[in-house]
Amino acid sequence: MNKTADRIAAVAFLAIGALFMVESLRLSKSAYGSVVGPNVFPFLLGLILVLLSVKLLFETRRYAEAADKKPPRQYKKFLIILVAAILYAALMETIGYVIMTFLFLVVGFQTMAKGTLWKSVVVAAGFSLGVYGLYVKLLQGTLPSWPVWFQ
Amino acid sequence: MSTLSFLLDGFQTALQPHNLLFAFIGVLIGTTVGVLPGIGPISGVALLIPVTASMTSGLSPEQAAASSIILLAGVYYGAMYGGSTTSILLNTPGESSSVVTTLDGYQMARQGRAGVALAIAAIGSFVAGIVALIGLVLLAEPLSNVALKFGPAEYFSLMMLGLAAVSGLAGKSMTKAWIMTVCGLLLSTIGLDNVSGVARFTYDISYLYGGLEFLTVAVGLFALGEVFKSILHNEKNDGEIAKIGRILPTKSDLRESAGPIARGSLLGFFTGVLPGAGATLASFFSYILEKKVSKHPENFGKGAIAGVAAPESANNGASGGAMIPLLTLGIPGSGTTAILMGALIMYNVQPGPLLFDEHPEVAWGLIASMFIGNVMLLILNMPLVKVFAKIIQTPTKYLLPLIIAISVFGVYAVQVTTFDVFLLLAFGLLGYWLAQHDYPLAPLVLGLVLGPMIENNMRRALTASNGDYLVFVEKPISLVLLIIAFLWIAVPMVMKLRGKSIIVNEDM
Repeated sequence: MNKTADRIAAVAFLAIGALFMVESLRLSKSAYGSVVGPNVFPFLLGLILVLLSVKLLFETRRYAEAADKKPPRQYKKFLIILVAAILYAALMETIGYVIMTFLFLVVGFQTMAKGTLWKSVVVAAGFSLGVYGLYVKLLQGTLPSWPVWFQ
Repeated sequence: MSTLSFLLDGFQTALQPHNLLFAFIGVLIGTTVGVLPGIGPISGVALLIPVTASMTSGLSPEQAAASSIILLAGVYYGAMYGGSTTSILLNTPGESSSVVTTLDGYQMARQGRAGVALAIAAIGSFVAGIVALIGLVLLAEPLSNVALKFGPAEYFSLMMLGLAAVSGLAGKSMTKAWIMTVCGLLLSTIGLDNVSGVARFTYDISYLYGGLEFLTVAVGLFALGEVFKSILHNEKNDGEIAKIGRILPTKSDLRESAGPIARGSLLGFFTGVLPGAGATLASFFSYILEKKVSKHPENFGKGAIAGVAAPESANNGASGGAMIPLLTLGIPGSGTTAILMGALIMYNVQPGPLLFDEHPEVAWGLIASMFIGNVMLLILNMPLVKVFAKIIQTPTKYLLPLIIAISVFGVYAVQVTTFDVFLLLAFGLLGYWLAQHDYPLAPLVLGLVLGPMIENNMRRALTASNGDYLVFVEKPISLVLLIIAFLWIAVPMVMKLRGKSIIVNEDM
């Protein structure tokens, strides 16, 4: 149990609960065919969340201070993969599924562990072309196709 | 009699060639998922929903629902079984329900009896699956008949009981479990209100009008959350794998484990039926029970075959038993069944008492396929044990980026917007952070799935009573359900105050 983390979380949940309460006040209070409007349920839930956050906040006072040190985390690897994933999502519709998936996987594999490049390239190409071929060509699904300048 | 003919119809559905194939793929992928470190049953099932959705896209809606639920259920119990393989061979449980199996399973492996342990686990799982199946057939009709008499008020209270049971037992802190439940319920209110048509909390973002897609949230929280954890914590799977050796158990092995398997299956089944008490509790209980019953309790922990047979039967029995509240009442009792329920709702199939009337093909097809899936698991696992042991060594280098790519593909294939892919990544980060700080994720998914139903029933009950909130305590059945729900929360709290330790369920 991490004291600081739970305090931050409790405050965040408190804010979320309060936000839902305030925002549900702006919703219409009546609905045709129902005595209870669309505002009641979210308002009650927001209230419960606020109360629970206060309870959590009080509980954090009893936590013992965490003394043990965290083992080292691989922040660099994680950030590279996260940024790659965000770019993957952002550019998928413009550059196309196959190219972006291939690039993401090669970056991902090489970030996880540096190894021979051609192995990563083969696996990445196999996956991206395989999924595209199976899903789009065989099952007639929709995925962003090749970019315009490539066709 | 009618039950039997329905069951036969179910077998007809399940024995169609494409459904046999789906069941086979399901248990195969499930076992693989269970064996692979880092992906448990919940994320395995969540990850495969989009894949099955695209595989079944050529079928009619009813058939597609039946086929994909057959595949997903196969993944579910395949993963339960696969988890035991790593417990025995590596001493690292694939998921929390096979933690107990490591105690005696790994000891057996060190004595060169790993193959026998794996075989007994497979046989135990098979027997438990059959027991759960019989229980399901016997209980499904009567239970759904009772539930058919329920009005909105009773339904509301029943779902409160379901939430109370799951939140009361999940994770280390009940406050955190409740916070997660309420957050799930709140997230479910985003989108167009289906009674009045008013847009709630959408802020004119058109993607939000349909509400948060359950699939995106579940895959993000469970699958991506675990991937992020594995990357950050640099988790590797390079443990020493024990030699498997002889696979077929001897006659005395079988005689020794017959009793534990029978007791474990029954205990597991009944534990599974209770919402909230899942496979992990079942396996713990059955291990403790066997130790008490045994004539040689001193052998436990030193490679007693009963110590493998009982918990493995119990956790499979429990996963079968958990299907009962899901199918008959529409109340998922665990994280994985909540995800199965979300998958059914995606196909416009509402689990609950009407399921057996409205979609008999789905309900009975699933029940029959559980039997077929169990047979397949047995056939698949005895000879293929050595292959699965190889899968354990899949380098995480390839595995983790591929899981991300599969998640992105799945979400995009179903939703066809990059908005949901961003949402997926956001929920992945959130899932990692929450799990890291002991916030259980299953209650959130449960809240998200049950939210619309709870709200609708609450509003219908209140409309019928002209806005009088006392309606929930005036109806006797509803009152009883609410009292049970209250006790479910209050009793552990009182016990905690008196300084007793409570067993919590962490597989949720």
